[in-house]
Amino acid sequence: MNTNSNVYTVVYTTVIVVIAAAVLAFVAGKLGPSQDANAKAETLRQMMSAAGIKPTEELYSTKNAGILQLYADNIEEAYTIGLDGTRNGELSATKDNIQLVDKLKPQNKAIKAGGDVTLPVYVFKGGISVIPVYGAGLWGPVWGYIAFQPDRRTIAGAYFDHESETPGLGAKIKDEAWFREKFSGKTVAFGSAPLFNLAKNAEAAGATNAVDAITGATMTSKGLNEALNVWFKAYESHLVSAVAPAEEEQTTNAEEEE
Amino acid sequence: MDKKLKETILNPILKGNPITVLVLGICSALAVTVQLKGALVMALSVTLVTGLSSFVCSLLRNTIPTRVRIIVQLVVVAMMVILVDQILKSGEATYAIDKQLSVYIGLIITNCIVMGRIEAFALGNKPIPSLLDGLANGVGYGLILIIVAFFRELLGSGTLFGIQILPAGYIPNNLVILPPFALILLGCIIWVHRALDKDLQED
Repeated sequence: MNTNSNVYTVVYTTVIVVIAAAVLAFVAGKLGPSQDANAKAETLRQMMSAAGIKPTEELYSTKNAGILQLYADNIEEAYTIGLDGTRNGELSATKDNIQLVDKLKPQNKAIKAGGDVTLPVYVFKGGISVIPVYGAGLWGPVWGYIAFQPDRRTIAGAYFDHESETPGLGAKIKDEAWFREKFSGKTVAFGSAPLFNLAKNAEAAGATNAVDAITGATMTSKGLNEALNVWFKAYESHLVSAVAPAEEEQTTNAEEEE
Repeated sequence: MDKKLKETILNPILKGNPITVLVLGICSALAVTVQLKGALVMALSVTLVTGLSSFVCSLLRNTIPTRVRIIVQLVVVAMMVILVDQILKSGEATYAIDKQLSVYIGLIITNCIVMGRIEAFALGNKPIPSLLDGLANGVGYGLILIIVAFFRELLGSGTLFGIQILPAGYIPNNLVILPPFALILLGCIIWVHRALDKDLQED
């Protein structure tokens, strides 16, 4: 057979591509559920690490099934809010309904454009609320989960992650426990500007809403600072109004008086 | 025949090592060698991809229209890479490593070793020797990756496979973690390799 004729070439390439596509579609279909389960468990680990449900190392050595169970045991309610702070959706308190990282990117755009958003709030037992933050680092997106005390302005814990920041520099936002631990006990200065300040020597001034940036990771720190401020701003009206339960409102007032 | 097969397997690991002799696949050798675990998974992935792609392309070698052979090879290689990536993503234990390697698994497609072996070997040889040639080249590549990662993780983080090896007082060397050090290390490996093997020395 003449393998160099035009007809043969066209038919051959078409067949090869169709076969490759069929194989990949089949495999993607077969492996899809377990990939989703992995991504979901990863997000839950990061949220629960921020909320302080268990130590980070322990969460990362727990299997997916254990993570789902732990989340189901500890979550109180999960819902979404709009930019005006009102609830516009419920995320059922089961393992099946959380917003994964890929949902945060379009939301980040929508926040900046002032469009319609469904920002997730996860309230764990004990009144710890966890919210995501998302922004651009040096090489790719950076994101994280910030847990608030019941007063909804004191940070209880944080966990950060990134797609491709420089190992040893920007990657420290994820790798170094001391960095995320610095956020515990800090407050977000709702009502003033900036809400939060992650910058060089920021802690020296003694402000409670400041954390020192990472040396040698200027762009990652800047990106994370913007992510924090943009997302805190988006959640401001909701977190400040400290919705629903009356007791939470009291806690907020009490804290303010102190 | 036996001797030829042995040559096929041993040559890429020693005299014809894709990284130190052919200087292919340098980019990923710099990028994924910060930690041993990542380097090991990358080495396995590349070995699988080169082996299987060479095997499939060798099976098809008599049917591929020569004018579009690179495109056909690319389709095969891309398919293998996506398969490896999907499988890594779906495993509970490998998910974290896949995340750490991020784009570099996908970039195996652009690794010159894969296409290089198909062009140079698989298109002219039977499927089984091609499979072995591909696997051996992957092993040769992986071996260098692991040597580089060993030093970078040990000196850059004081750990091996995430386990603390150097005493707690050791201050990790930041230069070692950054890509330029991998280049320096690679240079040293090539130097040692050439010093040991007289055949590789150019005057």
